[in-house]
Amino acid sequence: MTMIKNTILVLVLVCIPFAASAKGNASAGKEKSAVCQACHGLDGKSVDPSYPNLAGQHESYLQKALGDYRAGRRQNAIMAGFAGPLSDQDILDLAAWYASQEGLEDLSIK
Amino acid sequence: MRNLIFSALLISASLTLPIQSAIAAGDKEVGQVKAYTCTGCHGIPGYNNVYPTYKVPKIGGQNYEYLVIALKAYRAGERDHPTMTLQAESLSDQDIENISAYFASLGGE
Repeated sequence: MTMIKNTILVLVLVCIPFAASAKGNASAGKEKSAVCQACHGLDGKSVDPSYPNLAGQHESYLQKALGDYRAGRRQNAIMAGFAGPLSDQDILDLAAWYASQEGLEDLSIK
Repeated sequence: MRNLIFSALLISASLTLPIQSAIAAGDKEVGQVKAYTCTGCHGIPGYNNVYPTYKVPKIGGQNYEYLVIALKAYRAGERDHPTMTLQAESLSDQDIENISAYFASLGGE
């Protein structure tokens, strides 16, 4: 029981930075995205097909991805270097910026 | 010095791996059939991952090579997501290429 409580507590704490309804600012994100553009393109469409397009991706997924890179839960040598120094606000802003672009699409079931 | 050369070779070898694996292009028609399962989560606009809560990523119009890399990383357990690892474990390299070709062909630009 204690184990379950602790697990829930940890999960809740992990999510606080993003669940605390802090808002990302897309135009601030654009300013901060200069280094991202070298790989992910000026418009969120990547310059190399082995890198993901980010344009139009869900904001919450982008936050998760950057948070995971920063924490080392998702491992990629290049992204670890870039995500490491980001603040929570940086992540919110960058996610807001890329989510605001036109690009990726949900799949509709046909 | 020998170590340095060895490291350099290793690094250059690892850099060429994604390029080599991307040479075989998938068949999007075949991929569409296999991809039916994926749409259970990736096809529903705004559908949330249960916990922690974030939206399941959009993959329509994503880059083919990135999708192949992502699916193989899930299959190998290098990317940690229980549902995706279970899904990817059942896929062959050819399945991954076909499915990736299908998603890459959708939407986006």
